[in-house]
Amino acid sequence: MAAQLSAPAVVESWNGKDVKLGEVEAALAQLRAATASAGGPPNIRTSVMTHIAWVPEEWRDQARTALAGMAERHPSRTILLDPQPDSGKNRIDATVTLECYAVPDSERSICSEIISLELQGTRAKAPASIVEPLLITDLPVFLRWRGEPPWGSPELDQMVTLTDRLIVDSTEWDDLPYPYRRLVELYERTAVSDIAWSRTSRWRMLLASLWPGIADVSTIRVHGTQAQACLVAGWLRSRLGRDDIVFDVDERERLEGIDLDGKAAPFPPGDPPAPSDVLSDELDRFTRDPVYEAAVRAIAS
Amino acid sequence: MTATEHQQQTNPLEEGLLLRRTPDPCALVIFGASGDLTHKKLMPALYALMLRRLLPARFAIVGVARTDGDDDAFRSDMKDAVQKHARDVFRKDVWDELAQNMHYVATDFADDGGENKLQDLLTKLDKERDLGENRVYYLAVPPAAFPTIVDELGKRRSASGWTRLIVEKPFGHDLESARELNTMLREHFEENEIFRIDHYLGKETVQNMNALRFANGIFEPIWNRQFIDHVQITVAESIGIEGRSGYYESAGAIRDIFQNHLLQLLALTAMEPPVDFTAESVRNEKVKVLKALHTPGPKSVVRGQYGRGYVEGEEVVAYREEQGVAPDSMTETFVAAKLYVDNWRWADTPFYVRMGKRLARRETTIAIQFKRAPHPPFGEVASEGLRPNVLLVHVQPDEGVSLAIGAKVPGQGMTIRTVHMDFLYGGAFRTSLPEAYERLILDTLLGDGTLFTRADEVEEQWLLVDSIVAAWQRDRPSFPNYAAGTWGPPSAEDLLQRDGRSWRRN
Repeated sequence: MAAQLSAPAVVESWNGKDVKLGEVEAALAQLRAATASAGGPPNIRTSVMTHIAWVPEEWRDQARTALAGMAERHPSRTILLDPQPDSGKNRIDATVTLECYAVPDSERSICSEIISLELQGTRAKAPASIVEPLLITDLPVFLRWRGEPPWGSPELDQMVTLTDRLIVDSTEWDDLPYPYRRLVELYERTAVSDIAWSRTSRWRMLLASLWPGIADVSTIRVHGTQAQACLVAGWLRSRLGRDDIVFDVDERERLEGIDLDGKAAPFPPGDPPAPSDVLSDELDRFTRDPVYEAAVRAIAS
Repeated sequence: MTATEHQQQTNPLEEGLLLRRTPDPCALVIFGASGDLTHKKLMPALYALMLRRLLPARFAIVGVARTDGDDDAFRSDMKDAVQKHARDVFRKDVWDELAQNMHYVATDFADDGGENKLQDLLTKLDKERDLGENRVYYLAVPPAAFPTIVDELGKRRSASGWTRLIVEKPFGHDLESARELNTMLREHFEENEIFRIDHYLGKETVQNMNALRFANGIFEPIWNRQFIDHVQITVAESIGIEGRSGYYESAGAIRDIFQNHLLQLLALTAMEPPVDFTAESVRNEKVKVLKALHTPGPKSVVRGQYGRGYVEGEEVVAYREEQGVAPDSMTETFVAAKLYVDNWRWADTPFYVRMGKRLARRETTIAIQFKRAPHPPFGEVASEGLRPNVLLVHVQPDEGVSLAIGAKVPGQGMTIRTVHMDFLYGGAFRTSLPEAYERLILDTLLGDGTLFTRADEVEEQWLLVDSIVAAWQRDRPSFPNYAAGTWGPPSAEDLLQRDGRSWRRN
């Protein structure tokens, strides 16, 4: 469980139009100096990762919601990329924000850096070349891709090359399960997390507790999103070694129930996690998840 | 495949889900349920575990104490305790779920047939909640009460289900009494059923010592006599005895802190890498360190007792003026010692340890001081601000690790200063640190004894303490010998100065 989240004690910002990346770094250094109290010790720059978020305009609000509070839990440099290939300009506009949180029983603060970059015109074509100079050396790089990735595009290809872990939410995708086939192609290149999968974890634990009776299940009906239905069905098929399990979905905004052979499974204990908690949990994982990969392969095939 | 065949198979759905271990259904019986420990630590810890869904779905808590009362009164009392002492925000829904599993048995357990009342209640709970006759007995009572309780529990232990026994410190008063206690416990319980608590081992930062040493390739090669000049371990408290004169008068600092917390910190610092992190492997390595501890001579041990002084600007009374303390008490409230671990890794490397009450501030640290650079090519003046590298593990407060290194002062010329690189635990991991008792209770429910003290560890610890205390019988120091709010008697400084060293500047 996360610590009680608080609003940042200090927020300092800088923005610029048509910037060079050197200006962004310089702005960060100035902001860090500005947040230190006069005569007091410098604030601590603690980072556990670089977190990149590819956030087209239509996803901006959701991305902000998920990010709220996350900086406090995962001190990091967050780079928000807002691709605007059709803006008619070829430039990068930047907003740099330093959010500092007080360390309890200390005069110091811990600061997280958020770099928002609008990649306009041709600058959206080679995002990796923009991000790479801004990565924090030697720390893992997480890429949260909002919406369905443009499979096979140079932008996705470049960004995956930079990334230790790609985080998607297949709930945001259309025409499932087809896109899972494209996702599988990335498995050998980077570790992948799917927030839709994470949201099924409480239910998977519950279903696992129904062993061995569940081993003979023939049909499942998921009252939730299409993605959750696919992933739960794929998981059961792959874990039980049975590709004959039939599934359908009663579309809901969130996972509200699962019927096994027409009978409702008991509701799992606990509350569903908040969006920032789900993303936060994914940022704690570093290695490939073979159970998840097998579930996706089972539904994609 | 038939249901029976499935039953024999490992559950394939559990793979990848085991992020969280779930204890078996069980009943937790707390002896001493009306005491401070239950109010301040145990019940807040159980609430925190319930909030995080870490307790088994089928679970019962049975409080046992002499105080008159019933289930409702117990629940009400414990609710107040949780609201006052829990680290989490109080949630009524969570509390209600916990409270419905709570029961109370009023008995002194010695001569009123209380053991039958308890047994009847547990049998009833087993039937109602299908607890599998699994039991955890928590002895949060004075040691004098152990024999009666343990004997009764041993006689009535069930043939089915598992039984675990948590024993709070003090575990004995000396080697002989610790051995007697071990023998008494073993009459009814196997070693792997006995969980001797040293709550320091449940602290995240103490466990982080293992992570620091064994998860980082850079430290272990230099973690030895060749590179380390000495180690300083400080367990300092600014508080006094807080009304515990009855216990403290007979224990003193050496039994209260040195025998358990401090020697455990030393063992974790000095032990060899275990082959794995199972309870037996870790405890085997700690025992080897304790066995290798050289008994310090009288000149290598300093004891002290605080007089009047000021703590955080407030005048505080001398130990001998505390309520319940004899006016001529010779109980030590401070101990410092120079210890040696006689093995290949640590030969001739001193471990300076100090602990006490009413010291300048509350601090538990392990400082690894490395040897100086052999030949700094800077002028004497340029490097006068340069101190040896120190790796400092902050156990509490400000949990984390810092490394003191020499760095050039910006500007003309070459002036070197010592600067600190800090890893603040709360900085990199912004989840709140669990209380030690949460971890230890959960580990007991899971049957994991890694963070508990084994019988031979306890006996090795007492062996050392007894040899130190035996030497104390031959002299009578002039107490009090340090003012409250200072870092102990001057002789503690001498202990290091004789070796050309000094206590780390606090």
